Amino acid sequence: MSATMTPAETPHTDLSATSDLGRFLVRRPAALIGLTLLVLQILAIIFAPVLSTHDPMQANALRSLQPPSWENWLGTDVSGMDIYSRIIYATRINLLISVTAVGAAFIVGVPIGLLVGYYRGWASNLTMRVFDFVQSFPVFVMGMALVSVMGQEIWNVAIALGVLFTPVFARLIRAETLSLRERSFIAAAKCSGATDIKILFRHILPNALSPAIVQISISIGMAILLTAGLSFIGAGVRMPTPEWGLMVSTGSQQMILGIWWVSFFPGLAIILSVLSFALIADAARDFIDPRRAR
Amino acid sequence: MSKKVLLETRDLSVAFGDKLALDRVNIALAENEVVGIVGETGAGKSLLARSLIGLLPPGAERTNGDVWSDGRALSTMSPAELRNLRGGVVSLIGTNAKALLDPVQPVGEQVATVLRSHRRLSHRAARQAAVKLFRQVGITDPESRATAYPHQLSGGMAQRIVIAMALVAGPKVVLADDATLGLDATIQVQVLDLLVERCRTEGLGTLIITHDLGIVSQYCDRVAIMKGGQIVEQNDVSAFLAGPQTSYGQELLKAAKVRPTLIKGDGDGDGETLPKVGDGTRTGPKSSPLLQIRDMVKHFRGRDGGVVKAVDEISIEIGRGETLALVGESGSGKTTAGQCIVRLLDINCGEIVFDGKEIGNLPASEFRAMRKRIQMVFQEPYVALNPRWRVEDLISEPLSLDETVRSAADRRSRVLEMLEAVRLPKTLAKVFPHELTAGEQKRVGMARALATRPDFVVFDEPTTALDIRVRAQIIDLIRTLQREMGLSALFITHDLNSVRSLAHRVAVMRYGKIVETGDTSTIFERPGHDYTRMLLDAELPIERVAEKDLMGAI
Repeated sequence: MSATMTPAETPHTDLSATSDLGRFLVRRPAALIGLTLLVLQILAIIFAPVLSTHDPMQANALRSLQPPSWENWLGTDVSGMDIYSRIIYATRINLLISVTAVGAAFIVGVPIGLLVGYYRGWASNLTMRVFDFVQSFPVFVMGMALVSVMGQEIWNVAIALGVLFTPVFARLIRAETLSLRERSFIAAAKCSGATDIKILFRHILPNALSPAIVQISISIGMAILLTAGLSFIGAGVRMPTPEWGLMVSTGSQQMILGIWWVSFFPGLAIILSVLSFALIADAARDFIDPRRAR
Repeated sequence: MSKKVLLETRDLSVAFGDKLALDRVNIALAENEVVGIVGETGAGKSLLARSLIGLLPPGAERTNGDVWSDGRALSTMSPAELRNLRGGVVSLIGTNAKALLDPVQPVGEQVATVLRSHRRLSHRAARQAAVKLFRQVGITDPESRATAYPHQLSGGMAQRIVIAMALVAGPKVVLADDATLGLDATIQVQVLDLLVERCRTEGLGTLIITHDLGIVSQYCDRVAIMKGGQIVEQNDVSAFLAGPQTSYGQELLKAAKVRPTLIKGDGDGDGETLPKVGDGTRTGPKSSPLLQIRDMVKHFRGRDGGVVKAVDEISIEIGRGETLALVGESGSGKTTAGQCIVRLLDINCGEIVFDGKEIGNLPASEFRAMRKRIQMVFQEPYVALNPRWRVEDLISEPLSLDETVRSAADRRSRVLEMLEAVRLPKTLAKVFPHELTAGEQKRVGMARALATRPDFVVFDEPTTALDIRVRAQIIDLIRTLQREMGLSALFITHDLNSVRSLAHRVAVMRYGKIVETGDTSTIFERPGHDYTRMLLDAELPIERVAEKDLMGAI
């Protein structure tokens, strides 16, 4: 059976793909902006020690709530920690949580969606009802509940978000599978002697994946917001770990005193990060369509 | 030309950017005249229709000439005048009537709305007028139909309602853009009869846009042949049928006439006949047919809990090297029957015996061994191909069933062999389905089905949705393959044209039952069942006009 799997596994990994992407980006400035922002975030993750000017967790009571200056580019927070350095380091935490959560949700949700969409029996119905149960809670309430049960660790936040996002991917793939399984190329594959496994993973999956891939970016954006939100209300990451939502939260009390920079800059980081994934999602939707003119 | 010209184009050119889509088109439509525009996909027919009502698609621009209506150029008209032209003077009837009707409003209501805006009738009077119109377009029981929603109507019925709507405002010109595409042949004839009759009685100018020369020869006074945005030939229909002036016209006409070579029972080697069935003579006792279906039943559970008898106790025999055509209209159960034979559907009752072995009730795992010998070519050329697979992968997929082809090199050579068999260049092995034309997609589907060198192939509507010339090529190809590979085949179709030149025998199916079976020549010459006669009458053979003219001359 292995012999049947070899030729042309993935149409999109051929050598022309890179220049193809280049040409695509030239025509799509919004995608280029999204990609640039993403690259900046990745650079921040890798070179955080180089890029930062201070230790992100070093409190300094003498320099509490300093406005932006040459010493502290984006000012300091109430404990005197450097906001710029904290924002740089927080990229690690925020993206780590988000990418792990969404990646796990994708890896678990996609096969479940395929199976549930292709085989329709009591087990499929039961799975869908479980998903209904998970999704019927407001996302935030569910996140809070999971984190409070498991403890306020970074990994627990990631797991909680992963649980929340799994039904999203499973549903998307299921919906695609439901319509794809009725298409005549599936009937043709059956006539060609394709086994169920092959129909699921070689015929249905490649055609069902596009919306899920787009959803990855959307979900990462959402995960960043949720992580920040959970920290903001005190259910997520704890001080002094640098995390964007937490930073917005700690600065929010000073906001009315005109000390805007403590919340503003981490807030801006959240916005730009979410925006980058939204723009990429939008472009990815068009890029992965094989019918796109080349 | 004493008749008043209602609508004409003078040197009309339309372009998409730099690409010229209509090139100096001159066509005139006079009152009480039916003109047919014929061309293949991409010839610019629909664009011309849209130009005629001043509704160019986005990106298209008029670069030369104009459309003239009643002495005025469309480009000089105000938006209000243009609105009045559309619907008031010119009505457009499009393909797929159901999509043109509002799905959430009863059809009577929809027609009444149009009536009220055009004739300023009261609510009540409009509804009565709508019912009257429904009667005029041949809708039985118009009062109750008026309260129906579009999805409750058949395609033909919906098309009648669209025609009724188009005629409401009393237009002078009716444009029918492939108005009967996708309808069954018998319904198509009814709808066209109605449309042309209404237009003739009211003295309208009618423009029928189609790719079917049969329709043109039956209904039109004049014909214009379009190719690549140009009108390459324009003539009276009888003159065109007698002898087209351009080579393209001749080619189209020839392609449309591909069918008349009726297969003779025993071929005398002139290339136009099908191979003989089996080894001996056809009349001899068939030792053992390759496929025997006995009392096959397939039921579906309907939405309302009732049972739909899609296939109702049919029995068929197909000999070795024989082709049987299963003919019927949509909904007759013919495709279901085909899918049961290749075991895409499980049968409820009866048996399917293939080469002496009962396969209809085998468990799926045991049937897998038989798949290599029984293949199917699917109906729609594009959707039957996985859009993310390359042609070579598509064709080699069934080779996993063939234990004689194991190595990658073997597979590759078999793929190339198949591409050659269906007359496709080797270079296409690396492309994706969407890069192919419909005809090429169809060929890839056939190559896939033939890759394991099966003994028996089910062809599901092999010629629908294809342009005339492509259709003729596919029919030619199937005939060659039958000869070269000695295939036995079940040919599922509603296109009687193709049956005539492809099948040894014909089985006519209706409401899940087989109403008549016989040799192709017998069925065509002496149909025994009323339904068969009806199907035959629904054909629009090109020769008929010639006969009609002859009769008129006498």
